[in-house]
Amino acid sequence: MPASKVIELNNVFLKSDRGDQLFRDLNLSLDAGRAAVVVGGAGSGKSSLVELLIGARRPDSGSVEAFGELISSGRQGIIRKTRRKIGGVGGLFGLVPSFTVAENITYPLVLKVENRKTIKNSLFKMLTEFSLLQQAGEYPGKLTRVEKTLVQFARAAIANQPLMIIDEPAAGLDSSTFERILDFLARVSLSGRSLLILTSDTLPRDIPNADTYKFSNGALL
Amino acid sequence: MRELGRNIFRNFGTTSSSFLSLMLLFLLFDLYWIGAGTSETFYTDLLSELRMEAFVSEDVSDSTVPLLEADISTIEGVLTTTYMSRSQAREELERLIGIDFLVGYDTLNPLPRSFVLSFAADHLDSPHIEGIASELAAIDGIDDVSFSRRWLAKAETTRIVIRNGGLVLGVLILLAALISSTNNIRLMTRARAVGFQQMRLVGAGRLFLAAPFLVEGLLIGGLSAAAGWWLVFLAAGKISFTLFEIVYPSLEDIVFFCLGAALLGLLSGYLGIRRHFQ
Repeated sequence: MPASKVIELNNVFLKSDRGDQLFRDLNLSLDAGRAAVVVGGAGSGKSSLVELLIGARRPDSGSVEAFGELISSGRQGIIRKTRRKIGGVGGLFGLVPSFTVAENITYPLVLKVENRKTIKNSLFKMLTEFSLLQQAGEYPGKLTRVEKTLVQFARAAIANQPLMIIDEPAAGLDSSTFERILDFLARVSLSGRSLLILTSDTLPRDIPNADTYKFSNGALL
Repeated sequence: MRELGRNIFRNFGTTSSSFLSLMLLFLLFDLYWIGAGTSETFYTDLLSELRMEAFVSEDVSDSTVPLLEADISTIEGVLTTTYMSRSQAREELERLIGIDFLVGYDTLNPLPRSFVLSFAADHLDSPHIEGIASELAAIDGIDDVSFSRRWLAKAETTRIVIRNGGLVLGVLILLAALISSTNNIRLMTRARAVGFQQMRLVGAGRLFLAAPFLVEGLLIGGLSAAAGWWLVFLAAGKISFTLFEIVYPSLEDIVFFCLGAALLGLLSGYLGIRRHFQ
C-alpha cells in the first residue's frame, strides 16, 4: 500500500454480534489529505467500521490497514500506534469520567509526552476554539451533551493527528453548534488532515476534498 | 508521576483506607517479629542455665581428677567445667534442703564427686546435649551423667510451637496484606474501567495505564510498613519494660522489611490491574 493511503479496507466480511452479515466484500480507501463521508442508517455498520479501523474488532475475512500497517492482524503494538494517529469523536470515543475537561482534551499530548508549555498553549487554543474555557476544570458528568461533544472535538484536534474519525457529527448538537462544527471540519480537511465522517443523514453542506459513500447491502457504494 | 498524584487524590478514601489497613497488618507483623525475637532471646537465656552433672567413680583418686577434668573440657560444646568435691556437694545439699535433714550424716558423706558442665550457645539443643552426655558416659572414671531431659524437651517443644505458630501467623498476615492491597487497587481500577477503555481508544499503552497503580502499590506498601515501625518505636519510647529485655530487629532488617513491603505493594498493584487488561 502506498504511504499516502491513510486507511484501506479490502474485501472485508464481518458478521454482527447477532450473527447477521454486516459487511459483504466491503472496500474503502482514503488517501492522505482527503475526506470520506460515509452515510448509512441505524444498524448499517458505521460503528463497526470504526471498530475495525481502531482495532477494537477484527474482520471475519479481508484486511484492514491504517497508515500502512495491517491493523486487522490484531497486534497490540500496531493497534496502539494507529490509535495515537487518530482523533476520534462520537460513538466509541467517549470521555474519561475521572478526568477534567482539560485533562481529557490534553490526553493525546500527554501520551506523546509533550512538554508542559506546549500542552498548556495547545489546551488554551482548543478551549477558546470550542468555547470551553468555563468548563476546563469540570468533569464530564457535569457537562451537557453539546459540551461533551465539543470536548471530544477539542481532544481530536489538539494533537493534529493525521486522521480524524467522527461518528455522527450532528449527534447531540444544536443547529448553530453543528454549523460551527461543519466549519471546523472544513478547516481540518483543508489543513491536509484526513477525515472520515460517518453519518446517518447526508451532511447539509459539502466538506472540501470529500468523497461520499453510502452503505448498501453491507458494501460501500 | 503526575497521574499517580491525581490517582491518589481522586481516590483518597480508598487510598487512605488501603494505607491504614496495611499499616495495621504490618504493625501486627512487627509486633509478632518483636515477640519472636524477644522470646528467642528469652529462651536462649533460659537454656544457657542448663547444667549437666557428671559423677566421678569411687575408684578414681583425687589426684587424677584434674586429668579427668581436662578430658571433659576437650568435648566439643562444653563451655565450662566446675569440679564439685564431696564436701562442696554436701554444702550444696545443705543449702538446698537444710541441715535438719542431714542429721546422722555429720561425719559420714556418701555424696559423690562430680563435674558441673555448662554449654556453648550453639550446642543448647537435645541432639547436642545427648551427644555430650554419651561422650561423657564413655569416659573412664565417669560413673553417671545427669541432666534435666524433660525440662529440655519441654523448652524445645515450646520453642517449636512459638516458632511455627509465628511462621503461620506471619504468612497469614502477609497474605492478608497482599489480598487487602490487591482488592483496594482492584476496586479503584473497576471504578475506572470506562476511563481505561477510553484511554486505550486514544492510544494509551498498558504500562501507561498500569504505572500509576503499580507505583501507588509500591508507595502504599513501603510507607505503611515504615509507618507501622514508626508506631512501634513511638510506643516503645513511652513504655518501659523492666521484667525482660525487648529485642528489636536491626535497622538494616527494618529497611529490608519496608523494601519487601514495597515489593508486596507492587505485586498487589500488578495483581489488581492485571485482570482488567486481560
